[in-house]
Amino acid sequence: MKIFVEMAKCENHGQCAISAPNNFELDSDGNLRYQESFGEEDLHDIEDAIDSCPLQAISLDRDPTYA
Amino acid sequence: MAQEPETLHLDISSEYFRMDSEEVRKARSIHWYARTDWGMAVLSYEDSSFLLKHPLLTQGSAKWPAQHGVTEGHFDRWWQKTLLVLEGDEHNRIRRLVNPAFSPRRIQPLHERFRSLANSLIDDWVGVGKTEFASRFAAPYATRILCMILGIDERDWKKIHQLASTIGLGLGITIQENIARIDEAIAELTRYAKFLVRSRRQSPRDDILSTLVETRDTDDGKLSDQELINLIILLIFAGIDTTRNQLALSVEAFSKQPDQWEKLAANPDHYAAKAVEEALRVNPIGRWISREAADTIQHKERTIEKGTTLHLFTLTSATDPAAFDNPDRIDLDAERAPHFAFGGGIHHCLGHFVARADIGIALSAMATRMKDLRVEEGAEWLPDSGNTGANKLPITFSRRF
Repeated sequence: MKIFVEMAKCENHGQCAISAPNNFELDSDGNLRYQESFGEEDLHDIEDAIDSCPLQAISLDRDPTYA
Repeated sequence: MAQEPETLHLDISSEYFRMDSEEVRKARSIHWYARTDWGMAVLSYEDSSFLLKHPLLTQGSAKWPAQHGVTEGHFDRWWQKTLLVLEGDEHNRIRRLVNPAFSPRRIQPLHERFRSLANSLIDDWVGVGKTEFASRFAAPYATRILCMILGIDERDWKKIHQLASTIGLGLGITIQENIARIDEAIAELTRYAKFLVRSRRQSPRDDILSTLVETRDTDDGKLSDQELINLIILLIFAGIDTTRNQLALSVEAFSKQPDQWEKLAANPDHYAAKAVEEALRVNPIGRWISREAADTIQHKERTIEKGTTLHLFTLTSATDPAAFDNPDRIDLDAERAPHFAFGGGIHHCLGHFVARADIGIALSAMATRMKDLRVEEGAEWLPDSGNTGANKLPITFSRRF
């Protein structure tokens, strides 16, 4: 399972970085940086990040064959 | 030596100031910002988008009561601890816990109740072809939705609306002369919020408040009782007047473009979401979003000194011809860049999914039942500010069914 962010939608509000700081961050220019892969222990925080994104730009790609 | 750019001065404290004016359009065409007596006014889309989310530009409202002579009391103590003004770790910890309760997934099951409420309010006056929209639709609709979310008895809506309006005086420049009433309203809402938290803890229901109470319990006390109470008061403070006024502003905007109203009426499921975004873009309740420089920053040719206040003009940036085609017109078929009516960055509006859903449902219900929408004489508008809207909005229309 991988994190997928539609970067064309992302507005860099940074709510994901509040919900799941291990997986998302804003760099010094305020642009989103994230890791696609993650540990199982972060899943709950990532689901919160998906819920919280104002643009609803984040999803979990559950089947890598469709990536 | 670089020539200083010419910038215009806008008198934003005047009651005659209008953001939708040739004066502001001219200022925007000259430069990305204008000067005001209250700091910089950021006008362009590109610069608003960047500065809105700048980590060194903070929300800056913590000092508001003190700047107007209020340094203690229930309102001030509550204000200093609201999500709206908190920054850093304390803000992020609370925001992280409350965000999921306001997600589209949690709001979806309420849509049918929003629709029933909209239709029952319209039923009351649709037969006579006219109404006073602010009091006969916008106020009860916005307040009763907030009641649904918190699980407050909807029959108490008038009382809740009254308390919300009283606390809202805390944002006015007359805060000091009203502070006794405002403090009393905070005290009353605190008692009410305590009761709500206690009752949800004893018997959870299917409402957002129960979700929030549960968040506190399962996350080992991370959201304290006091934080929950502060949040309930914030939701009442920030969730009622905003939606009420945005409904009136949306109706006003669509009354000027009957072709787009007809488009919405013909296919509400397809166009409702776009109708909300276009109304927020051309006629937003928050005419500006405020920021304060926590440190000195450089943006383009301008050094923004620490402590500088910035007003990011939402209507102006969202109708910037550099970013939007035919920008002043609602166009439900256009693909538009996002507007900033809900602010942005870490302080992005918490309840925006609720607002987007309930305004879309209200506009759809109205469009399918009413045509030839007109705003009549006697409308009473608040001045353009961080919080504008209509105290009175007489409308007429023809009934479809």
